[in-house]
Amino acid sequence: MARRRAPQRQLPPPGPRLRPEALGGAIECRSCGRRYVAERYAENLAVCADCGHHGNVAARARIAQLADHGSADVLRFDVSERDPLRFDDGVPYPERLARARAKTGVDEAFVVARATIDRMPVLLACMEFGFLGGSLGSAAGEIFIRGCDIAAAERRALIAVCASGGARMQEGIASLAQMARCSTGVESVARAGLPYISVLADPCFGGVTASFAAQADVILAEPGARIGFAGGRVIEQATYDSLPEGFQTAEFLLAHGMVDAVIDRRSLRTTISTLLHVYMRVGGTPPEYPPR
Amino acid sequence: MKGSIATTDRERAAFAAIELARHPDRPRALQVINGVFENWTELRGDRLFGDDRAVIGGPAELGGRHVMVIGQEKGTDPMSRAVHNFGMPHPEGYRKAQRLMLQAEKFALPVVCLVDTPAAHAGVAAEERGQAWAIAESLLCMLGLRTPIVSVVLSEGGSGGALALAVADRVLALANAVYTVAPPETCAAILYRDAGQRARAAAALRPGVDTARDIGLIDELIPEPDPGAHAHPRVVIAAIRGALMRHLDELCACSTADLVAGRQARYRTAGG
Repeated sequence: MARRRAPQRQLPPPGPRLRPEALGGAIECRSCGRRYVAERYAENLAVCADCGHHGNVAARARIAQLADHGSADVLRFDVSERDPLRFDDGVPYPERLARARAKTGVDEAFVVARATIDRMPVLLACMEFGFLGGSLGSAAGEIFIRGCDIAAAERRALIAVCASGGARMQEGIASLAQMARCSTGVESVARAGLPYISVLADPCFGGVTASFAAQADVILAEPGARIGFAGGRVIEQATYDSLPEGFQTAEFLLAHGMVDAVIDRRSLRTTISTLLHVYMRVGGTPPEYPPR
Repeated sequence: MKGSIATTDRERAAFAAIELARHPDRPRALQVINGVFENWTELRGDRLFGDDRAVIGGPAELGGRHVMVIGQEKGTDPMSRAVHNFGMPHPEGYRKAQRLMLQAEKFALPVVCLVDTPAAHAGVAAEERGQAWAIAESLLCMLGLRTPIVSVVLSEGGSGGALALAVADRVLALANAVYTVAPPETCAAILYRDAGQRARAAAALRPGVDTARDIGLIDELIPEPDPGAHAHPRVVIAAIRGALMRHLDELCACSTADLVAGRQARYRTAGG
């Protein structure tokens, strides 16, 4: 008697077909584990089609996602080596910088570009989380304020996409000074009467949140992004407080009135464009910033 | 060198400097206010949520000149330390400071800030009420404030929590104070994933205020008689009074526009 075939196991609906040669470039969603061909995942802006989880986006990819096609002009500044403390935690700090550069292909934790969004002139300043945790050092601060200068001089809106662990400990007190330094950049853009929109991506903490990230006219956050000043682990250890559900997520901050909106990455460009239309009044001149 | 836990002499010396700055008998903000100023009237509350006892402030007189004094108070005994939350402000503290600074601008009072905090408070409530937002607003508020600001780092200036009261036309510091990007315990947790290696972090960070002076965050160090301010609080308070009067005389002679432009130019380059 022929054995009955076991009923076939129900498979989940087919995802993007993985061609054998593309397997090396497969990416797994960090939340639900679904696997994607890298190109397909990037096409969906690193958002999982199944669960909506927003993956990390490198600075250059972020610029490409937001800018009009072909409009982005990435600016490179000569950021000389800075090692005020001659820091060495087993690996000398310049060596760490060199490794970060090799890994990410960018010079520093900030990448700025002239671009247009829906034909409106903007200056995009995007943080590279892969570069030493997106930490804010002296060179990164320099890139940001130079970007702000360009925005003010050329009447461009400032769009900052923030993803950072905070200050760069390896630069010590010089890193702390960047909080005030970047604030002067925000100040000059505000004084020129230009809009500043910040986008908080996962994760955004410490001296970055506590300076330019929170100083924007409009603060947008990506779904599920973890945002705050002190990290949850630090808080648990310091105070023995139990952390509430969803603590320090974008949605938590929205509920507490800290951000203007939580925006899906796939509609981020549209949202920014809508806001810029309000604030830039295409072809018009923004009113002068009222002196206090 | 991985695995080497032995504390070197350099690390021990660096951590001794931190401990000296944390000495419980060093003059605290309230003592300095009482010793330096006359007729201080405390004003409380941020008009938004509550009153943070880690930040105290109000108008006072200094040698015939009216000023607005804002300080971070750590407390002097176990009870008052708890009341003042060990000098670690919540967002309300920074918002109260902003309110008082804007009031000082309105009445053309110079602002004096006394910085003494290990860090801004790390807690659930502080995050819920926007600790980062409060600090970020303070930075912008101080950068644009149309009245002179002098800050004095008394003992411990830690993290953005200290910088939020130290964006000023002149920043002075007691010679044995420390000014760091984060307390050494936090740095060790971030860099070595072990808060216990705080001495190692202290040595690597060069926490002394001379480092901050070298990068332009501090202008002048106020000398302390040996072995430190904890042994001679009255001498040190008199020195603070003298330094404050001298700097306020200079700053009050400047035009407001020059002051604000100069302050912004200064922070554009500090740490660059």
